[in-house]
Amino acid sequence: MFQLTGITKKFGGKAILRSVSLTVESQKTTVVIGPSGSGKTTLLRCMNLLEIPDSGTLDLEGMKLVFGGAPVPQKDILRFRQRTGMVFQAFNLFPNRTALGNVMEGPLTVLKKPKPEARDLALSLLEKVGLLEKKDSYPSQLSGGQQQRVAIARAMAMKPEVLLFDEPTSALDPELEAEVLGIIRELSQEDYTIVIVTHKMSFARDVGDQFVFVSDGEILERGPMSGLDVSRNPRIRQFLSML
Amino acid sequence: MISQRVVSIILESFWPIFSAGFAYTIPLTLISFGLGLVIAVVVALVRIAGVKVFCQIAEFYVWIVRGTPLLVQIFIIFYGLPNAGVVLDPLPAAVIAFSLNVGAYSSETVRAAIQSISKGQWEAGYSLGMTYFQALRRVVIPQAARVSVPPLFNSFIGLVKDTSLAANITVTEMFMVTQRVAAATYEPLALYCEVAVIYLIFCTVLSRVQSLAEKKLSVGQSGVEK
Repeated sequence: MFQLTGITKKFGGKAILRSVSLTVESQKTTVVIGPSGSGKTTLLRCMNLLEIPDSGTLDLEGMKLVFGGAPVPQKDILRFRQRTGMVFQAFNLFPNRTALGNVMEGPLTVLKKPKPEARDLALSLLEKVGLLEKKDSYPSQLSGGQQQRVAIARAMAMKPEVLLFDEPTSALDPELEAEVLGIIRELSQEDYTIVIVTHKMSFARDVGDQFVFVSDGEILERGPMSGLDVSRNPRIRQFLSML
Repeated sequence: MISQRVVSIILESFWPIFSAGFAYTIPLTLISFGLGLVIAVVVALVRIAGVKVFCQIAEFYVWIVRGTPLLVQIFIIFYGLPNAGVVLDPLPAAVIAFSLNVGAYSSETVRAAIQSISKGQWEAGYSLGMTYFQALRRVVIPQAARVSVPPLFNSFIGLVKDTSLAANITVTEMFMVTQRVAAATYEPLALYCEVAVIYLIFCTVLSRVQSLAEKKLSVGQSGVEK
């Protein structure tokens, strides 16, 4: 279980997240939706500590970090990041490394795994995302969809307890979207704990177990995915009608 | 017409001048550039980190070194410092002056190169749990190195030629040796042209090294196979 309690984040005095509390169930897929600029991405980045919350508590399977008091030790932040995998909208693959090199990087540098072990792990993950034959390709030689699949493998190589996806297909052409969504769908059917920020409502309905609707830095409503379309909240109804 | 005498002076002096290049010019260049690069990276990181006092010291250093002639810096270090009780041999004095000079100029190159790497690359490293120095070493520096190779080779090649200034503080590098031969033979035109050609040879080799380095570091860029 991944529990967020009272997470607040300000940028230059402006509150982007206001005391957000949320429970992410293990082995479930949580879909974060809401209008642009509502704080969805910031919420996700706080879960990976790419943004350090101003206050609040994160509790990932018993590893509890409290923000707003004494500064959280750097080693706890690093440990926490290892346990939460991030997939970026812009992929952010390392351009100077092959697909295989990208996936091996975390286990090699951060986990100090021996090279053969990191390599075997990376190969199995590339196979999982269907890119084994592209292992020696550089990111510039891959399509956007392929790059994002490598990025998913790279995040999974750290064996994180939760995988975070920040609008993973919004930088992709529609025809490349399907292959990435297909991988995420597979993962969501397996034992992975997933949080995904997305604008793809049909995909969200398809893979989501739980939805979280964020508006203006707050969670307006959350519940089982089936509850989204029958929500009585006028803000949510308006949002859904505009898509 | 070039007389036989001039030809034989050129031929006889070639090896002494050329070997002075190997004994002094090349080591002086390599050591000073190596140390200068270390200074450059440290200064660049300090300025990027923006910690106030350290940042101001770094900016002050760059300001002083870039704003004063290299020859004057060499004279201050070799002829000036003894008045303050610091007596240096010619070679260490030259290494210090050149390193500080390269460090100041190259720090701007290194800073620009590091800052040209997108925030997303740092974040990709951090998201895997990397520390600042791991992300710097494994993700950012390899990419920044590629960007900075052409301007750094500018400094490097510039330094090869700047080492001739060490002749002023009695370092017997190529130019010093040439001056001595020219004084003894009264053939300055032939000898200074000769040493110019030797500098040109060294710098041409370095330009080739630059092309190779660029090729090696451009791995993964679009259209380039490893």
